[in-house]
Amino acid sequence: MSGSEGHDATVRGWAVDPAAGREGAAEIEVRGGVLERLTWLSGAAADGLAADGLLILPGLVDFHAHFREPGNEDAETVASGQAAAAHGGFTTVALMPNTTPTLDEPSALGRVRAAAAASGSPVKVLAHGAVTAGRKGETLSAMGELADAGVVGFSDDGASVRSATILRNALAYAGALGLPIVDHPEDLALTEGAEASEGYVATVLGLKGWPVAGEAGSVARSIAVLADVVRDVPGARLHLTHLSTAASLDHVRAAKAAGLPVTCDVTPHHLALTDEWIAGARRWAWEALDADGRARDPWADGALVAGPYDTSLRVNPPLRSAEDAAACRAALRDGTVDAIATDHAPHTEVDKHVEFGWAVNGISGIETALSVVLAAVGAGELPLVVAVALLTTGPARLLGARSGVAPGLRAGEPANLVVVDAGAAWTVDAASLASKGKNTPLLGRALPGTVRLVLADGRVAYAGG
Amino acid sequence: MSTGSDRPEGAIAAPPEAPAHWTHRHLLDVDGLTRPDIELVMRTADEMHDVLARPIPKVPALRGLGVTILFYEASTRTRVSFEVAAKNLSADVVNIAAASSSVSKGESLIDTVRTVEALGADMLVMRHSVSGAPYLAADIFSGSVLNGGDGWHAHPSQALLDLYTLRSRLPGGSLEGRKVVILGDALHSRVARSNAWTLTAMGADLWICGPSTLLRGFEAWAARGASGRRFTVTSDVDAALRDADVVMALRIQKERMASGLLPSLREYAARYGLTSERLRAAKPDAIVMHPGPMNEGVEIAPDVAAGPHSVVTDQVHNGVAVRMALLYLLAGTRRTEAGA
Repeated sequence: MSGSEGHDATVRGWAVDPAAGREGAAEIEVRGGVLERLTWLSGAAADGLAADGLLILPGLVDFHAHFREPGNEDAETVASGQAAAAHGGFTTVALMPNTTPTLDEPSALGRVRAAAAASGSPVKVLAHGAVTAGRKGETLSAMGELADAGVVGFSDDGASVRSATILRNALAYAGALGLPIVDHPEDLALTEGAEASEGYVATVLGLKGWPVAGEAGSVARSIAVLADVVRDVPGARLHLTHLSTAASLDHVRAAKAAGLPVTCDVTPHHLALTDEWIAGARRWAWEALDADGRARDPWADGALVAGPYDTSLRVNPPLRSAEDAAACRAALRDGTVDAIATDHAPHTEVDKHVEFGWAVNGISGIETALSVVLAAVGAGELPLVVAVALLTTGPARLLGARSGVAPGLRAGEPANLVVVDAGAAWTVDAASLASKGKNTPLLGRALPGTVRLVLADGRVAYAGG
Repeated sequence: MSTGSDRPEGAIAAPPEAPAHWTHRHLLDVDGLTRPDIELVMRTADEMHDVLARPIPKVPALRGLGVTILFYEASTRTRVSFEVAAKNLSADVVNIAAASSSVSKGESLIDTVRTVEALGADMLVMRHSVSGAPYLAADIFSGSVLNGGDGWHAHPSQALLDLYTLRSRLPGGSLEGRKVVILGDALHSRVARSNAWTLTAMGADLWICGPSTLLRGFEAWAARGASGRRFTVTSDVDAALRDADVVMALRIQKERMASGLLPSLREYAARYGLTSERLRAAKPDAIVMHPGPMNEGVEIAPDVAAGPHSVVTDQVHNGVAVRMALLYLLAGTRRTEAGA
């Protein structure tokens, strides 16, 4: 790599461009922030360039992140979130509206935009508006005004749209505006007080179970409501975020096969981590399966290497069994899942360093997402080009053409790209994270994939490593 | 505060040194205890049992050590048992009931533990309503933490005193192949969970029986449990009690009806209550246990609770000996770590 200042750079590596349907050895030249040239290399010129070395990818897109501003700037600000995004290789993020106040009318969106502009970071910040006023689930938010102001979807994330009537109205109203309802599927009657995924690990640890039906039932309901709405409002769209169970993904698979306009995402932690981490295991989800594809017993095979009840593992939906994590990866491969979204949820030490059952939910994950996905790629769980598509073109499709987000390595455009050394590990520690939220269970762990350079809109968003 | 003058004439100078292979600084769960660990607790409890038989049941083993008992949940039996055990070992005991401390003003567990440590606690016995809370305390406390019950998760001293009681009652003192039935609300029971570990570790044929709503998750545990610690989960009380050597009834709480887990206490008593009639299916010399406090007439009939099969009073008495053993063994690891 030369000219790593970014405005001008020449990089040779293994380029992956899902928009062009191509990967291979390549050289890129950036001049004045513009991607001047992408040359696919072959023969001797390609020697030493491979998918386990320096990767050149389109800038990553996160469809689901929480930056906590306004209202909880101790946990994250838009500026610290942008820095974290850049460190993670993301050049575009779509924020969730569960701030204080709720992003349920345009002036709240204005505050977020102003903060993003003031930070000086080139990371593009988009936002979802709330579905209901104050996310209370009772009356619709200022949907039309929010759409005019440029939100990319509507979500009451943190909770499901509880009332099927409100969901039905929201799908119809947002559908006419050309925007999706992004639902966090959860049947609160089944998950009240829940601490960990219902099953073996939760039972042994005495944690209240979060049953699969708490997610899958809500998914099925929302799909059923969508099927009704879409007959009258063909533009209605439902996106189900952070799906974590085989049962939910089966519902989505069937709905897609039936032609319904439903999409979904999965988080890095649900595809790579499992509930046995709460007991103290620290192996990847794919290492926690036996030869028959069943979850192994961490108490029996010496896998418990850390203390139990680490609250950085408390997340909603909870970390699931190794079987569910395997179903998530299968759904990534077969096209059921449209995007990998981080659900980056930074929290303060005060909110996390408490009893497990009293800790707030969430994992600070935007800086480790690419590395976790590369770990899955390295283990043969996911083809590289599929993984990159799920972090770039997949979420961009969810954001829609109006967002102007079109990941790709196209000559003549301002550079939006990430250079990551897949062969270089980095160790996650509090000081290495730009996010204010240090609440990640990966602290202390060496992960593959060190981000070297991130260009967003032709400017250097991150350089280092 | 105890001084050496409390030591009765003729008492041993100190109990035998804890064998070097007790390596646990804390006792937070029983899942990490090996069978030799458990055997060591049992042997040490035997020694303490002998101490308790003396006219003045007191030894100076923990003299100068501060034991703080921090209970965030109401308890009489366990709290007093730990207090008596610590005092019998001549420790300096401080009792903190959460309701009467800064805890009710919103002080965090971490701050409370730091305060307790600054005030001289070397060992912390704690009970908390949230599963795993003692691990949080153990992370920051420089001494030893002894879990006196956390949420639904674990009640190590209860499981060990149950085991001690069974060994003293069963012919040969062995659990190997003995059919032990835990009957009742396993879902919400830390006693059931801890006993599942210790009883299977000692070779018992464990059955966990109750209404299916109160067994949630245990089927998954039984299915996953590695060989050597398998157990049977059933809602069929007759199958469970047939030829049982031991029946341990668990407390049923009224809140379970409000949350729709059970139709009524009356129906529970009729279908799962341990009555003398039901007990006839068990072996003639079957042992009946209950961790207390009992709802007589609900999970256990009064005549069974007070009858010849019942060892409930033994459990309470043995609780002191076992808790003395645990405090003593943990104090031993402190001495080892200090290089003394």
